[in-house]
Amino acid sequence: MNGSVSSTRVIAITYRVLIRQLVSRGRLVALSLIGGVVALVGWAVGRAAHNEPWLTPEDVEQIRLNDAVTAVTNLGFTILVPIVALVFAAASLGDTREDGTLVYLWLRPMRRWAIVVGAWLAAITVSLPLTVIPMVASAYLLDAGTDLIIGTAIASVVGVIAYSALFVLLGLLVKNSIVWGLGYIVIWEGVVAAFGSAAAKVAMRGYTSSIVSERTGVEIDIGTLAQTTAIMVPIIVAGFALWLAAARLNNLEVA
Amino acid sequence: MVSVTNVTKAFGDVVAVSDVSFTVGPGITALLGPNGAGKSTLFRMLCGLASPTRGEVRVLGRNARTDTEVRGRIGLAPQQDALFDRLSAVEFVTIAAEMHGMAEPRAAALGVLDIVQLSADDPKPVGSFSKGMRQRVKLATALVNDPDVLILDEPLTGLDPVQRRRMIQLFNELGAAGKCLLVSSHVLDEVARLGSKVLVIAQGRLAAAGDYHALRDLMDDRPHRIRVNVEDPRRFAAALIERGLVDGVSLGNDLEIDTSNVDAFGRGVAPVAKELGIRLSGVAPIDDDLESVFRYLVERR
Repeated sequence: MNGSVSSTRVIAITYRVLIRQLVSRGRLVALSLIGGVVALVGWAVGRAAHNEPWLTPEDVEQIRLNDAVTAVTNLGFTILVPIVALVFAAASLGDTREDGTLVYLWLRPMRRWAIVVGAWLAAITVSLPLTVIPMVASAYLLDAGTDLIIGTAIASVVGVIAYSALFVLLGLLVKNSIVWGLGYIVIWEGVVAAFGSAAAKVAMRGYTSSIVSERTGVEIDIGTLAQTTAIMVPIIVAGFALWLAAARLNNLEVA
Repeated sequence: MVSVTNVTKAFGDVVAVSDVSFTVGPGITALLGPNGAGKSTLFRMLCGLASPTRGEVRVLGRNARTDTEVRGRIGLAPQQDALFDRLSAVEFVTIAAEMHGMAEPRAAALGVLDIVQLSADDPKPVGSFSKGMRQRVKLATALVNDPDVLILDEPLTGLDPVQRRRMIQLFNELGAAGKCLLVSSHVLDEVARLGSKVLVIAQGRLAAAGDYHALRDLMDDRPHRIRVNVEDPRRFAAALIERGLVDGVSLGNDLEIDTSNVDAFGRGVAPVAKELGIRLSGVAPIDDDLESVFRYLVERR
């Protein structure tokens, strides 16, 4: 006889199915390459010489830290973290919607919010190592101290959590979600957020940059928020995005 | 077990299903119609995958779109060829059983894989399967929760003749056991083997419903249009009209005739040609395809 499926079980089943679908050699290689480039840039910036005679050792250390924070926030939080999260999160349910396999999740007697959470967790599981490892490696190679490494790690995790939720929702809202997501990353996170601290508050990059800024003490135009706020707001946004995704899945017409 | 009342489904300006009503009880009911007739849209609404623009759909007295419990009593084999391609057959079906909350999902999966004659030991992902094997994975998935209502969208597509026979036998067994099976097809002969209850859908509308044999007679009794290749079509046409073998004629490059008594025409056409000394080189129906049959059924309603 059939029984009801607990939400925990639904999350576990969805997670198991989708993680197998998400991991492909092509995706892993392409995104590892982007991560490798980020780490390489960290190494190059970390090796930059500051031999000007008027600079004191403290000046050189501060310049090195400023350069390192700029490299991490510009390259890591504008490109690597959102793009990796986009590729996996948008595909988690978006691909099933487009290829028709969503019917095997949707038609079962399972709670929709649990399906969404399972998809989100699958996306996070694949995205975290592909972002946190190269970001931490980059911070380490920048040779600008432990605070940068810790701040980068925390901000990367927070960024993946929030972006993944937003892009799971995007995958259920639009077709060709990768294109829409790239548009969002370039226009919103890249351009709009660069207009200063007020604009950065409506972009995830403002929060991830604030975590690094707060941790290292380096002032950034777009990173002016307190660390608690910079961590909590993206998590709240993630929760709201997942709630919207569950509502969307509930009302979706499945082909 | 299934009721559809005045259901219409529109996508923008396109009406896929128009004011369709029927009820279906236990046993097999075949849903016959050409490609694009609205069969899959109707099935999607039955399963709750889509909601009707107008009207009401009930499965086991409930709305599958909003009722989680009733979805656990439906088995669907969708028409589209999409599966989680990286899973093996046994993984795919076991997961479906888990999703239904089956107490022993693997045992349930092994049971249905045996029914559809797929090896549970095959480690290959379903993405590497042939169309027929994928079709059987879909059927196994639809059966794994022992559903009360089975909705099978073109389930025999891609199966070889032996598998087809096996599946039709299985459907008949399930129907005899009191399950409600709705099976769609666009192949008339396939429907003939599925049972006697038929719903014909064409252009989004219910064109006919009832017993297969009555429907078959109706189809055979409809006016037929036939092309006749003869040496002197004008004289030959006059002779056919005179003998009452045709209802009308059309003279172009060839002679085309309309008749509502195709048997009498078939018996009479060669003797008339012989009697007139006219060489008859060909007689061929020009509206014998299923589309024409469906069009006729829709127009006569």
